[in-house]
Amino acid sequence: MSAILRKMVHELPGALITLLLVGFIVLPIAGVFLWAFAEVWRYPSILPTQWGFRFWGMMLGRADVWEAFRTSLLLSVIVTGLSAIICLPAAYAFARLEFPGKSLLLLSFLTIQAFPKFGLYIAIATIFFSLGLVGTFTGVVVVQLVNTLLLMIWIPVGAFQNVDIRLEEAARDVGAGPIRTFVSVTLPQAGPAIAAALLLTFVGTFYETEGAFLIGAPNIRTMPVLMISLINNQIVVQYGAVLSVLLWVPSFIALLFARKILNARTIAGGVGA
Amino acid sequence: MTSLSAPLGRQKRARRFPVGLLLVAAPVILVVALVIYPILSSLSTTLNVDVAGAGRFSLANYARFFSDDQSLRNLRFTAWFTTTTVALLFLVCLPLALYLRFSFGRLPAFVQAIATFPLFVPGIIVAYALIRFIGPNGTLQSLLDAAGLHGYRTPYLTTWGPVIGLLWEGIPLTLLVLVSGLSQVPQAAIDAARDVGAGPLRILVFIILPLIRNSIIVALSLEFLRIFGAFTQPYLLGPASPESMGVYMQRTFGDLQDPVQAATQAMITFLCCSVAGVIYVRTIIANRRAGR
Amino acid sequence: MRDQTRSTLDKLSIDHIVKRFGPSVAVDDVSLSIPTGELVCLLGPSGCGKSTVLRMVAGFEMPSAGRIAIDGEDVGTLPPNRRPTGMVFQGHALWSHMTVAQNIAFGLKLRHLPRATVNQKVAEVLELVGLKGFEHRHPGQLSGGQQQRVAIARCVVLEPKILLMDEPFSALDAHLRVRLREEVRTIQRRLGLTTVFVTHDQEEALTLADRIVVMNAGRIEQIGTPDSIYGRPGTRFVAGFIGTMNMIETRVQGGAARLGPIAIAVDAPEGPVTLAVRPEDFSLVEVGSAGSVAGVVERIIDLGAFRMADIRIDAGLVLKAQIGKGRRIAVGDTLALRPEHLILFGADGTARPAAIPIAA
Repeated sequence: MSAILRKMVHELPGALITLLLVGFIVLPIAGVFLWAFAEVWRYPSILPTQWGFRFWGMMLGRADVWEAFRTSLLLSVIVTGLSAIICLPAAYAFARLEFPGKSLLLLSFLTIQAFPKFGLYIAIATIFFSLGLVGTFTGVVVVQLVNTLLLMIWIPVGAFQNVDIRLEEAARDVGAGPIRTFVSVTLPQAGPAIAAALLLTFVGTFYETEGAFLIGAPNIRTMPVLMISLINNQIVVQYGAVLSVLLWVPSFIALLFARKILNARTIAGGVGA
Repeated sequence: MTSLSAPLGRQKRARRFPVGLLLVAAPVILVVALVIYPILSSLSTTLNVDVAGAGRFSLANYARFFSDDQSLRNLRFTAWFTTTTVALLFLVCLPLALYLRFSFGRLPAFVQAIATFPLFVPGIIVAYALIRFIGPNGTLQSLLDAAGLHGYRTPYLTTWGPVIGLLWEGIPLTLLVLVSGLSQVPQAAIDAARDVGAGPLRILVFIILPLIRNSIIVALSLEFLRIFGAFTQPYLLGPASPESMGVYMQRTFGDLQDPVQAATQAMITFLCCSVAGVIYVRTIIANRRAGR
Repeated sequence: MRDQTRSTLDKLSIDHIVKRFGPSVAVDDVSLSIPTGELVCLLGPSGCGKSTVLRMVAGFEMPSAGRIAIDGEDVGTLPPNRRPTGMVFQGHALWSHMTVAQNIAFGLKLRHLPRATVNQKVAEVLELVGLKGFEHRHPGQLSGGQQQRVAIARCVVLEPKILLMDEPFSALDAHLRVRLREEVRTIQRRLGLTTVFVTHDQEEALTLADRIVVMNAGRIEQIGTPDSIYGRPGTRFVAGFIGTMNMIETRVQGGAARLGPIAIAVDAPEGPVTLAVRPEDFSLVEVGSAGSVAGVVERIIDLGAFRMADIRIDAGLVLKAQIGKGRRIAVGDTLALRPEHLILFGADGTARPAAIPIAA
């Protein structure tokens, strides 16, 4: 009897924490899902009173949705590609080569985080303003690189460092040249983490709101920027919900996949902790 | 043999050194072009006024900001919700992290999964979800009504709106950094403290907190920087006035078409965050020195 | 017998404790009494439950059943911070954010002692462990041996009723281990500290302990002085675990067990038994002498003070014998060995009386 009581007391904090977290974190997101499939949901009903797909059809029939989707997709592909070309060779150099100022330069990428991001966007925007890049696709692409640099350097550096140098030495020992070694040994070993970094860059760019809004609006409308106008104009609640579900579900699956590769330590390490 | 291989090794190293520098040149140039140059450029722009076609050093732009009531109100509001949210984050995440570190089984794993879940939700969707949840006639109000609790007053579009949104977004990273710090506290160090007579509270204050000091500093300074410059949550969840510095900057730049004043606001934001920024950079350098 | 009569006088008495982790039993009905000032070693292979016993005495684990009393007082439900025990951990467990002095003073400060007293006690204990002048160092600036000395000082300064040491030296190199072992013995004697010392190193246990408790699979195999544990192992496990032992599998037939041509009168039922003889308990005799077995030297290992010879008696039996430096032997020589002392273990693994015969 007392053993059961003690067990209950012991498990009480856990149960309480779970309840509060579910209430604060899960319920709001669950609400978005409910709204996306609700045709009628009036206060104070706890659940929608009429379910259906009517608003899905309406959203998918809108030209501005497809236009924003194309813009976001193109933006993400270009930014991810550019970041990879710029950052991956540098990451390899940071992990494997010796050169003066190495640790200082590597640290300089972390210091990007020491500036409040929106202030940085404003500083960039004032320069873009004089260059005529505000409101252009190019401007939006460049401003996205500010976000992706750190991620695309930091995670691959860790990935390359984690490849046991003896594996590379063994490959050289059996007669592989440096490029063959890199392609056949180093890259496959570091591959999963690099893939995760690419994925995170892609998804992060797809959803980046603030830089795109500041530099791109109103000419360039990415999905999040479209979402802002949907929220501000409050036409139909369901539009925002449908757009959220539509946008977020695939990326969530992708991110869960990335999370399997990147553990908590990597994420914490990514901010220098 | 040795006389042959030694110069060969040196030659190799000598050949490698510019290659490494060359490979890292592109992102380094990008950091200079997208971070250092814009900041210096903004700084010089805001510190100059145009007198008869020539630039002259002047604090006029800053004087304008600090003599304007609305600007000061916005700055104070930003400082308020930043400190409040950071404090709340610490108060929420520390017990959570301690719970995750010191309990075992399936429930903690589930708790960690939920708590890190916001990492995968874009800020814009968070804002939308919270509007529907905490907003007027939202899900929370319906639930409270059903439970017989009436008189709900929504924090949406009040000064607490951004706090809730930013807290929601901030939980995962703060938690992960603290959990990572706690995982490096050896169980034996805690056992030893219990053994010499320390109770749970004393162990927390004298052993655990000092040992995870750097993790706490990194997490909180990083959140401070993120929240002080926040745009999306204050823009969508906060009041029209006062505004957060992020919203204010955006409006000054986009709607008022005044890039110089927007840059001035950005510089003042940097100034306010400089202490947190310096603390953050110093701590991560210390962490790397300590080999973590 | 002794345990029951003295239990009220004992510093520490452990009474039939059991510890289960889920379905597995880590400690299975262990009872032990330790009088004031004694140093007892818990010795056994890893996973035998010795550390769990120690952690239950310290209060880090709660027994599933049984009773633990210190000075006759049940401490069963007290958390570690309210028990009069002090523990030295494997791998020092110093608090890296505190200096040496702060590490040692922490427990004293928790007891609200005046600052002057704290400082004085810290100085005294640092003197005791030979680390005077290291007060303001951080643990990271000390060598492994110094760290462990600080850990001992941190414990001893609180004057615990019982000092618990959980493989404190296992992370150190062999030389340092021997030196610290001696230092611990000196400090323990000088302060008269009742001490429980957990180790898997039999040499450590044999040189350090007043009494040794040999554990295996959660149970006590034997309790005794180092002398008796080595010389009169009570079970087959102890015989095999401590020191080098020739274990000879044989059978009892007609009240006698046979070792080669030797018949040994035993008090055991018919069936398989094990004869155990230490290499130093063989004497070299003339080939053909009464009560001896003969064999051919297969291998000789010089161990400095003496030599160890592998002697093949027959296809299935090789005996190890310790041979003095004075005797010349070579591989291929035929030698005759006479066991001067042997122990017989029955099918249940416990020792039984056996008499060395004269007749072949």
